[in-house]
Amino acid sequence: MTVAIIDYGSGNLHSAAKAFERAARSTQDPERIVVTRDPDAVYRADRIVLPGVGAFADCRRGLDAVDGMVEALTEAVRVKARPFFGICVGMQLMATRGKEHVTTDGFNWVEGDVEKITPRDENLKIPHMGWNTLEVLREHPVLERLDLGPKGRHAYFVHSYHLNAANEPDVLARADYGGPVTAVVGKDTAVGTQFHPEKSQRFGLALISNFLKWKP
Amino acid sequence: MILFPAIDLKNGQCVRLEQGDMARATVFNLDPAAQAKHFAAQGFEYLHVVDLDGAFAGKPVNALAVEGMLKAVTVPVQLGGGIRDLRTVEAWLDKGISRVIIGTAAVRDPELVKSAAKKFPGRVAVGLDARDGKVAVEGWAETSQVTALEIAQRFEDAGVAAIIFTDIARDGLLKGLNLDATIALADRISIPVIASGGLASIEDVKAMLTLRAKKLEGAIAGRALYDGRLDPSAALALIRNARAAA
Repeated sequence: MTVAIIDYGSGNLHSAAKAFERAARSTQDPERIVVTRDPDAVYRADRIVLPGVGAFADCRRGLDAVDGMVEALTEAVRVKARPFFGICVGMQLMATRGKEHVTTDGFNWVEGDVEKITPRDENLKIPHMGWNTLEVLREHPVLERLDLGPKGRHAYFVHSYHLNAANEPDVLARADYGGPVTAVVGKDTAVGTQFHPEKSQRFGLALISNFLKWKP
Repeated sequence: MILFPAIDLKNGQCVRLEQGDMARATVFNLDPAAQAKHFAAQGFEYLHVVDLDGAFAGKPVNALAVEGMLKAVTVPVQLGGGIRDLRTVEAWLDKGISRVIIGTAAVRDPELVKSAAKKFPGRVAVGLDARDGKVAVEGWAETSQVTALEIAQRFEDAGVAAIIFTDIARDGLLKGLNLDATIALADRISIPVIASGGLASIEDVKAMLTLRAKKLEGAIAGRALYDGRLDPSAALALIRNARAAA
């Protein structure tokens, strides 16, 4: 089994690959982790990971610049039903649109827009950087046995925007930062986290191994 | 073999499309319940209903029309279009639909089909629409590079009642069923397969009754029934005779 981490020049690849390699070692049937910018490898992969840091439009442009990548990714996830994991902006790209500075089309797998977070408390700084607990809104195989909730494990966030989903069932978990922040989305065979599982220590690794074991 | 008369719903009316194109819709009856009654009275034993608006919207749109049809007839009805979650599956089966057809969601969310079929054995069918053998989703607006066989194989042993295989290139054009492709699919899987798209005349019914098509569960008839090319009583008599002979 192969997990393709898409390389389109958008940072955090190294730490994402390391985290997936570590998590894969803990599964019964260790999967091969490949970092690739070859659309064909993505099309043939058993699982796909899309990392992403920076601005929505830059990430979209970077992905579009790899010839055939968006097509391969869409087919693999939306037709071949391969499990997909989007991290941070990789998760935001699952939305209908991004509204960071300019309006940019996302993949439209999860209906909704990526909008600026607006904490009620003006002492709360943007970008939101730090550790937060998660509130699970919908049970999902990737969130099983993770010890979440107000006294549970913490996830590491760095962001100014979040995915404001149009349909409530698509939001699996949220965090609180002066108001609700979408933390985990899930639709069909795709999941995404606003936070960085690769920087969220043991909790992050447990989440990644859940994803690697998930058979949708 | 079962011959399923098709009732496609758009804006609460019975229409036929050409090649799945919503812009090429012909209205055949303003009253779906009356149409359902008419088919039942002609002797059809199972109706095939598609909520076309639902297929595009991703959720039921012509629910009232469907409920009206269910009240009007006692023959079983299978329904597709916009069924993309377990709640919708349950709601329709509750309302009296005999089996639901999951299309787009069967491609994107195979787990839905598996869990629905497990919960409601024999009452979940999968609709696979193909253009040149490649699967199309989202009300047929998009085509992929993945074959219908690949998708169908996901559901082997999942308790799926039937696969309704539609050849989009032929649908509504009265060029005859694509039996070769349908039989080729049926040969590779154990789930019963229903042929759809292009049924044009009594010749298609005869072809369905030949030995090589025997493993197919049935065929769906659309436009040919509405424009009179296919005489329902002649078709149903052929099927009855074939059954009696078997």
